Amino acid sequence: MDLNYSPEDREFRATTRRWLEANVPTQDLKTLDERKGWHRKLYEAGYVGMLWPKEYGGWGATPMQQAIVQDEMARVSAPPAINGLGIGFIGPTIIVHGTEAQKQRYLKKMLTAEEIWCQLYSEPNAGSDLASLKTRAEDQGDHFVVNGQKIWTSSGPISDWGILLARTDVKVAKHKGISCVLLSMRQPGVEVRPLKQITGSSLFSEVFMTNARADKSDLIGDINQGWAIAQTTLGFERGGNALGRVTRYVTAFNQLVKATKELKRGGRPLIEDPSVRARMGRIYADLEVQRYAALRVLSALQKGDTPGAASSITKLSYTEFEKRYYELALEILGPFGQLMVAREEFEEVDTSSGEPGTFATAFLWSRAGTIYSGSSEIQKNIIGERVLGLPKEVRADRLKA
Amino acid sequence: MDFSFSSDQQLLKNSARAFLDEHCKPATVRLLWDDPRGESDTMWKEMAQLGWHGLALPEAYGGSGLGMVESAILLEELGRASYPGPYWPTVLAAAAVEAAGNDAQKKRWLSAIATGDARATLALLDADLDWDPAAMTTRAEKSAKGWTLSGTKRFVPWAHVANVLLIPARAPEGPSLFLVDPAAAGLKLSPVQGMDLATRWVHLDMDKVPVAPEALLGTPGQAAPLLSSLVRRGAIGAAAEMLGAARRCLDMAVGYAKVREQFGQPIGSFQAIRHKCSEMLLEVENSHSAVYYAAWALDAKAEDHELAASVAKAYVGDASRKVCGEAIQVHGGIGFTWEYDLHIYFKRAKALESMYGDVDYHREQIVRRAAR
Repeated sequence: MDLNYSPEDREFRATTRRWLEANVPTQDLKTLDERKGWHRKLYEAGYVGMLWPKEYGGWGATPMQQAIVQDEMARVSAPPAINGLGIGFIGPTIIVHGTEAQKQRYLKKMLTAEEIWCQLYSEPNAGSDLASLKTRAEDQGDHFVVNGQKIWTSSGPISDWGILLARTDVKVAKHKGISCVLLSMRQPGVEVRPLKQITGSSLFSEVFMTNARADKSDLIGDINQGWAIAQTTLGFERGGNALGRVTRYVTAFNQLVKATKELKRGGRPLIEDPSVRARMGRIYADLEVQRYAALRVLSALQKGDTPGAASSITKLSYTEFEKRYYELALEILGPFGQLMVAREEFEEVDTSSGEPGTFATAFLWSRAGTIYSGSSEIQKNIIGERVLGLPKEVRADRLKA
Repeated sequence: MDFSFSSDQQLLKNSARAFLDEHCKPATVRLLWDDPRGESDTMWKEMAQLGWHGLALPEAYGGSGLGMVESAILLEELGRASYPGPYWPTVLAAAAVEAAGNDAQKKRWLSAIATGDARATLALLDADLDWDPAAMTTRAEKSAKGWTLSGTKRFVPWAHVANVLLIPARAPEGPSLFLVDPAAAGLKLSPVQGMDLATRWVHLDMDKVPVAPEALLGTPGQAAPLLSSLVRRGAIGAAAEMLGAARRCLDMAVGYAKVREQFGQPIGSFQAIRHKCSEMLLEVENSHSAVYYAAWALDAKAEDHELAASVAKAYVGDASRKVCGEAIQVHGGIGFTWEYDLHIYFKRAKALESMYGDVDYHREQIVRRAAR
């Protein structure tokens, strides 16, 4: 056991910090062009596509270096790169399963944010049971005709391309008739409608496909192999955000401390109230444990271990923690916790979505984490079956198949 | 950055597991429930021969010079076996002698502890049940022949089998620490028994207990930082033991869920049970991270080592209570019976929860450090 950062990692952190201090935008990025400009700057500095192989425009960096960059970005509340899903999941999927022509056509423009990508997986009736998806892709020789509806699509309105899971064979078991294909979002048959979330903002969309066209040359892997390809996407989670996430929690905790010093109840600051202190102690203990766990994940990645199903433990841990965290913060802040606009008592905090806001915004966003990318219930199924080796459940759809 | 055990550390863990599986079975623990001493001298000597008592002591005193990480590895296994005996109190007392003792005191006690010839314990809790050493009410007054100690110590682990008691008391100069003979005049030992029959406590009542000048450990009035560090070290050790108890309960629950059938299938196939087991694993893994981070931070003198000790004790206190309790729930009725072994570990975790600072105490320590 040695939890010291290596001299190389410390030097890398110092370099990153200096670069960010010199380059982080001083004003909010308002337009898409400004956001793309910041993304390109990050890319050229070597901070986007860090884990991608160099031959496809990546930087061949280590998971620890990537985590350090995200950590330093969180420390200064730097705006995130714009093409997160593309670079985190879709690009790596193309690298593993795509043809050489697909790699040449798509990867570089994804890295530079010349083309923005989204994921077209979930459907209104296919959430946790993703394999029951209904969107059809009909084989028309050199192309597919796509009809159906997707939902919870991040970056929908600004996306140029999407990675689509669609049914290409209705006669076989549900997992066996799904294909993975790249779909242009810039065509008449694709309509994007933003969804308004409980936060009041719109980071997700619905996507309607009516006789949309996807070229056969954009099929990823073989026909009807889409389910297996989608499963490998899960394996691309490389702990990149592990440290940055905790740093955001700490920044918010410091705002909570500030607020409890300035807000008074019964004539004394909240922070002097033993019940408030007990709750804050609980939050901070929990928060530190998330940090230790993040170091443990990064240490395993450094040694070349693949977390596999164990990454479900990480996701379950921090998303459930985040709900407890902001629930306690709002309990402590009382009616001030309700406010959606920052005040002098507490400044803005970064929410899990990357959207800045108040504790109320972060509280609302904390409800999303335990639903997206596999709900807590799905994570517990995975942990139970694949880590603990508990017997598979009897499921109605398995009985039929 | 390497969060995994070295091969030597893994070896230590494996050999501890093998020894305890053979020599500290649940049946062994049960036999000692009715024993007046509550521990096995044979096991104690064998543990000493394995080098466990001197694990963290300097080689000059027969130790191995290893750190808190190795101690935590051992303590996790001891917790997993619900080992009954004064191992951790003795080792912690040895750490105090090593930190503050003079050569004569070290020679007298450290070698004897390393060889298994002496047991020791530390009376950290005063009459008012405050783990903050500044709050101590036991008094040390100067006398013609040295000092006299007066006051009360509560829940002193395994004092009835100790050869020496380390007793903090407030001298005119301030908090001080003394090596006290358990047979000293004016010292009354009263055993206290909690629900874990394999954890033994003793209340100490002291009425002008005479203590020789050479029994003072360190400089008079200067013991507070040492006592705080012993509470923290004790807390990491207790957290490691609780982690071991929790992992044992998790293993038993998962094992049972795979074989117990209801409604025609193993209960582990039901989400109600599977999800519970997954949550238990999450708590155990997070507890592992907390314990070994804190142990490493102490060894490395990391700047957050004090915070980490409190984080570990506060987090694992909650986590082990939850995991051991849920293991009973997964088992159903059988888990509630005296004959089934689950309650051995459930009660051990609970006994340790209040030692070396409970969850509330450590949360307050955390806030003091984090909310400046």
